[in-house]
Amino acid sequence: MPQLGFVLQWVVKAMAVILAITILNFFLIRLAPGDPAVVMAGEAGAADRHFLEQVRRDFGLDKPLVVQLGTYVKNVLTLDLGQSYRTGRPVTEMLFERLPATLLLTGTAYLFALIMGPLLGAVAAMRPRSLFDNILMVVALVFYATPIFWVGLLLILIFSVQLGWLPPFGMHNLIPVQGAVAYALDVLKHLILPAITLGLFYVAVYVRLTRASMLETASLDYVKTARAKGLPEWRVATAHILRTALIPIITFAGLQAGHLVGGAIVVETVFAWPGIGRLAFDALFQRDYNLLLGVFLISALMVVFFNMLTDLVLRIADPRIAGRS
Amino acid sequence: MPAIRTMGPIGRFLAVIFAIMLVSSGLVRAEPHRGGTLNSTLWPEPPGIVIGIHLNAPTLLPATKIFEGLLTYDFSLSPQPMLAESWEVSEDGLTYTFHLRRNVKWHDGEDFTADDVVYSLTEFIPAVHPRSRPTFERTVVTAPDDYTVVLTLKEPYGPLIRSFDAISAPIVPAHIYRGSDIRNNPANQAPIGTGPFKFSEWRSGEYIHLVRNEDYWLEGRPYLDEIYYRFIPDSASRALALETGQVQLATQNDIELVDIARLEALPNLEVTTKGWEWGAPISWLEMNIRREPFNDVRFRKAVMYALDREFIRDSIFFGLATIPTGPIHSSSPFYTDDVQTYEYNPEKAKALLDEMGLKPNADGVRTEIGLLGLPYGELWDRLSQYIRQALGEVGIQVTIETADVAGWGSRIANWDTDMSTTYLTTLSDPALGVARSYITENQQKGVLFTNTSGYSNPKVDSLFAEAAREPNEEKRREIYHEVQRIIADEVALAWLVELQWPTVYNSKLKNVVRNGLGPNDNFAEAYFEE
Amino acid sequence: MPFLKRFAENWGAVAGLIVLGLIVMMAITASVIVPVDPMATQGRPLLPPGREFPFGTDMLGRDVLAGVVHGARISLMIGLVSTVIAALIGITIGAIAGFFGGWVDDALVRLTEFFQTIPSFIFAILLVAIMTPGLASIVTAIAVVTWPPIARLARSEFMSLRRREFVEAAVLSGVSRTRIIIFEVLPNALSPLIVMSSLMIATAILTESALSFLGLGDPNRISWGYMIGAARTVFRQAWWLSVFPGLAIAITVLAINLVGEGLNDALNPHLKGRVRVET
Repeated sequence: MPQLGFVLQWVVKAMAVILAITILNFFLIRLAPGDPAVVMAGEAGAADRHFLEQVRRDFGLDKPLVVQLGTYVKNVLTLDLGQSYRTGRPVTEMLFERLPATLLLTGTAYLFALIMGPLLGAVAAMRPRSLFDNILMVVALVFYATPIFWVGLLLILIFSVQLGWLPPFGMHNLIPVQGAVAYALDVLKHLILPAITLGLFYVAVYVRLTRASMLETASLDYVKTARAKGLPEWRVATAHILRTALIPIITFAGLQAGHLVGGAIVVETVFAWPGIGRLAFDALFQRDYNLLLGVFLISALMVVFFNMLTDLVLRIADPRIAGRS
Repeated sequence: MPAIRTMGPIGRFLAVIFAIMLVSSGLVRAEPHRGGTLNSTLWPEPPGIVIGIHLNAPTLLPATKIFEGLLTYDFSLSPQPMLAESWEVSEDGLTYTFHLRRNVKWHDGEDFTADDVVYSLTEFIPAVHPRSRPTFERTVVTAPDDYTVVLTLKEPYGPLIRSFDAISAPIVPAHIYRGSDIRNNPANQAPIGTGPFKFSEWRSGEYIHLVRNEDYWLEGRPYLDEIYYRFIPDSASRALALETGQVQLATQNDIELVDIARLEALPNLEVTTKGWEWGAPISWLEMNIRREPFNDVRFRKAVMYALDREFIRDSIFFGLATIPTGPIHSSSPFYTDDVQTYEYNPEKAKALLDEMGLKPNADGVRTEIGLLGLPYGELWDRLSQYIRQALGEVGIQVTIETADVAGWGSRIANWDTDMSTTYLTTLSDPALGVARSYITENQQKGVLFTNTSGYSNPKVDSLFAEAAREPNEEKRREIYHEVQRIIADEVALAWLVELQWPTVYNSKLKNVVRNGLGPNDNFAEAYFEE
Repeated sequence: MPFLKRFAENWGAVAGLIVLGLIVMMAITASVIVPVDPMATQGRPLLPPGREFPFGTDMLGRDVLAGVVHGARISLMIGLVSTVIAALIGITIGAIAGFFGGWVDDALVRLTEFFQTIPSFIFAILLVAIMTPGLASIVTAIAVVTWPPIARLARSEFMSLRRREFVEAAVLSGVSRTRIIIFEVLPNALSPLIVMSSLMIATAILTESALSFLGLGDPNRISWGYMIGAARTVFRQAWWLSVFPGLAIAITVLAINLVGEGLNDALNPHLKGRVRVET
């Protein structure tokens, strides 16, 4: 069964990545200057030598490096990512608490880009050199060049501060509204600006990619044949051009998906969105090692997962690809 | 009433009018309205809610509503009764006797007795409370009966009387903690205290919920029904919440200083900077006196003259700070301003540097040093940048070094810096919060918030020790005045500002800042106006 | 010079080149045209754009115009240096992999894949924080995170060029492998690599601005990203603190993109309009 081989292949890849990243992370962070015991002890405790030692013992910071690593690897494999130094709560718990928010944000941005991009690009490709095409290309070029966080700040300035249409921060009203439907609508309202901010860059990319891909495909022989046969333009576009043109787009989309998490950090910071990106950033400045490692691991897993998804979609779209690695 | 009889008819008439006015104003101001939900901000989400096990600022704000101490302190840091109704201190300062209230119950219904106090002071605090441990190690605590506690010392210790607030010496239930592993006691998740509010719920990432203690020892209190401490991660969101009335209280570092003026101007909000007398935070520029050129007092004086502290106060702290003159906070009863002061005078600074032999080279640079700035946020980054600029103008070239909190702490603790910025709470008594930064014996390498600058003056050491031992408050004051004079003259540290932590609250909310503990008061008297 | 002619015909690329040239000039002559220390207080804090300060002042009263002009130096320099280093790393790895093939190739491909799987921005943040923020750490972090695509391109270029006759001839006549790589293959592989690198400068500038925005920039220098980040708490009241540096970034990156694509189209006219999947 080729499907089994496919799944097995990806599972092996995932495990290899997890292991490699775990080891990499571990040593990287330990090389950093700074002592987490001092931070955890706080202003009062750090002034007491005995207290510092106690903290070190409680959190295993005094054991040799190799022992710490071995313990960590073993724990990761049993889904125990340790406790956050700062709060004492299990890292897995903190991550899964904040993960849905990030998934919601990146997922929405991703879909937004994946739908708007090819759509606009396809329309432009069907009317090359028209006014619409030219304007769209310029706009796409501009958004491709603008830093994501700046776009976010501008959107807040315009739509929140000046026009007052949308809330500027957070995932929901400061005091959460009651009722499932009302809550969902509230979240949706808060989701609009950050999702657009994160997605705009990729919309720009997909617009240009789709347009170029479709124009290239359109000039291929078999398409010309279809046209010559008298098929209506839109059928030519969808049945023939789009199908082939989508391949590089999907490939690219798969590669970009993983990097959305990185972009999410910046957007989550600007919009105070309660996701793992922001969690990672706070953890970074506190030298909360366990939490940091956890975020890094989850992000890498997301990348592997999206790559697998992309591979799957590609195989469905074009079975010939199944042969390639 | 002989006075009234001697008054003429008009006088008596006026007296009656006056009496009526007095009574009617009392009637109008009658009983505060009972009821209401208080929403306060709290950030970051604290690691726990039991005082002593955790001493972070966000732990203390809710925990002080649940736990109480024997005493509390007013704006001038004079002791006021709390769990102790009255107390006596012997003439020789060696015996403290506290008479406890009798009708106090723990939140789980058990009676509060002297045994709880003995347990808290002799077992709980030494086990978990690093700041208060040294204080109570000096005492022997006994309970002659269920409602009396006696502390005996070998030698007098002035600061002791100011160490009984809920933060320094929280009283915890002996029947819950005795014999257990304190840090892992399940009660830590749902603490039992004697305070006016009971713990109700902690929803992680959202809020901590407290409700009224119906059996609180003070009749008719607390007025509020419940308190929510809401975790709002972004300062702009917190400001917005105050403006829209969704939140009625924010304090300490919750609101960016730049927003305070704007919020104060709004009709539904008030701002106060009182209520931190107990903490008395001072921020300073610390120079590593073990290194050149900081070991020369002229260099340190030059640095003081080169910094425009009024600019720092106005532009970096937006006016929400006062300028310190020395090691002791201006709100302390032991403060004096009769010391050598350093106004902004770059010319004097340059003259001192010339005198030292540090002449400017072709680029105008006399010396190069590093500055490790406090990495607590943009305000502190701006402070570092200003210091760099100001010292640059007198020829001291500063390179800003960055670090995260742990790295910053580690370098300072290990004496591995040229200059660094920091702030410290100087607490309610100089022996508790001030001496630790200046006495020679508190130079502990590797430990933060000790004497990390390396300042050492045997005279100062002996003065601090003497003041701690002195039972007479007036005499203590004189000793501390002399200490301030010496330290200010020698510029042990370049004090920058006394921090003010504004408390922003809804105009309808009353009595949230009514003593030296400010928002860390137990809120038994807080209420909403009709 | 058909290449130049083709480039010149692309008005977008020409416009980009002019703008880029202006920005570079501005960066080089910053101290002359705006002889104001961008890090020193010049006036009252938070002044809106006006006559004395065309771009306003920031929270410490510093001139925003001076910040934008002088900040160009840092952003451009970091972009350039980190890309050069990334290119060196990438070309070396890709050349070795593509030229030698076999298990060396396999191992290096796995290495490249691994680095591409790591979420790059998070990795960059980690690296900068670990090495403590500063020019050196930012440049290193960006370089470490951006070399994989160059390596892949170099590898495919070298793989195809390896089989060409002139290379076979050189191998047969006993020329050392290293000399072959450097003097025979590399010059022919260069043009697509240069194009890719020029586009990566833009990405490097964006990454640097994001790192500085998050507070991981060098505190002793002013950079565009840092200016926007430092103004976060007041951006609602002081829009000029975010808008002007942000425009500077956008215009610079846009100009570089236009030039890069112009180069690409000019060097590969038969590929004009082809889909280039940027990996």
